[in-house]
Amino acid sequence: MTRLRITGFLLTGFICVLVMALPVWAHHSVQAQFDIHKSVSVSGTVAKIEWINPHSYLTVNVKDPEGKLQKWAFELGGAAALRRAGMSRADRGGLKPGDQVTVTALPARDGSNSGFLQELKIADGRTYKFTTDANGQ
Amino acid sequence: MPLSRYCRIMAVAAALCFLPAAVLAQEFSPIKRNNNAPPKPSGPTPRIADGHPDLTGVWNGLGDNLLGVPNQIANNGLSIESESVTRDLHSGALIATFPRNTTRPLNNEQSERAATLLRRVGSNKPIYKPEYWEMVKNLDHNSNEEDPSNNCMPAGIPRAGIPSYIGQFPNYFIFIYPGQGGLIATQTMYRMIPADGRKHTPLQDLDGTYTGEGIAHWEGDTLVVDTWGFTSNTWFDQLGGYFHSENMHVTERFHRDGNTLTWTATVEDPDVLLEPWTTTPRVALLNPRPGAMLPESQPCSERDLSHIVTKEHH
Repeated sequence: MTRLRITGFLLTGFICVLVMALPVWAHHSVQAQFDIHKSVSVSGTVAKIEWINPHSYLTVNVKDPEGKLQKWAFELGGAAALRRAGMSRADRGGLKPGDQVTVTALPARDGSNSGFLQELKIADGRTYKFTTDANGQ
Repeated sequence: MPLSRYCRIMAVAAALCFLPAAVLAQEFSPIKRNNNAPPKPSGPTPRIADGHPDLTGVWNGLGDNLLGVPNQIANNGLSIESESVTRDLHSGALIATFPRNTTRPLNNEQSERAATLLRRVGSNKPIYKPEYWEMVKNLDHNSNEEDPSNNCMPAGIPRAGIPSYIGQFPNYFIFIYPGQGGLIATQTMYRMIPADGRKHTPLQDLDGTYTGEGIAHWEGDTLVVDTWGFTSNTWFDQLGGYFHSENMHVTERFHRDGNTLTWTATVEDPDVLLEPWTTTPRVALLNPRPGAMLPESQPCSERDLSHIVTKEHH
């Protein structure tokens, strides 16, 4: 038990440390790709979530007005930003393919089905907010 | 212990196990840093049996250089010392700067543009032959399309900077440079560098590669890595459009002092440069955690550059 308690304490400390992450450097200008003054919102099911460089991606299957399935790709902030928004794996219990989501994002300026994730609403009503702050975190 | 608490701990432990290791390393920082001044050395310098310093270790300090390379701004010869003051490490001059390194709610346009300018004010710049000045300027201006390493290609040498891991063996060294998604998006590179007294392969017999043919030797306590045989598809510094020819010759110097490793690279390329250029020294910190291991880096898949609609860039 004592050992478990120590483990828990250490892990909690570790999580706290993770929250104070350094600024994230983007490999491209956010405003060169996304309109930071507008937003777009779509609902659908999670196709995949990928932890990759230089940006992680959430891909969502969205039905268009004719009922045809379209893929939307949403760029994610770093893992620290997801944790700050309360979306660590422990909090969310794991977002998995097939989950119903509503995504609000900064729309791509080239009109493609893509955006920069700002808010994610999951099936049970919980909403996670992400902000693009001055340091791009 | 109540079962719910136990479950919570186990859930957190499981989450940590499953989170990509590189993400943890990239974002592990026990100190909220508000400057990026090069770290100061402390502790003894370990030595191997023949008396040379032992460079073996995970040289990612507090995780900084898995985000990119250590002290990315210092890489361009700059050290952010406070919210509004930056030091040019080459000249020593202080530069009043827009408060880039701040928590104040500036909007992204201001912040990004200020950072882009700041990265270019360092005074230590390579001098190209006049006929290439326009080309270098255009490569930098159009770096969204032109940067050869920003779409998950290798950064090359010396752009990759200090390796995040050095393994020192009697007759060779292993250098590992994890892929990154910071200022540029690059894939993992490794180098196996002999230190057995061999000579270079004649340049004309080498196919140009991203890390070239590196051969190491000691000059006193400094490890010197001499490399040629490069592809021309890299830039030799983080920013600026600094292209080079296949005849580039790079001399890197690694000097360990306690828990720090100081690195410089000298670039000789008479095809395009008027004179050799040496980077401003960069300093990496040994990872202070006992038993530190180099984590797996995330795979790189670039999907943004084809959607970019303006010339703004890093």
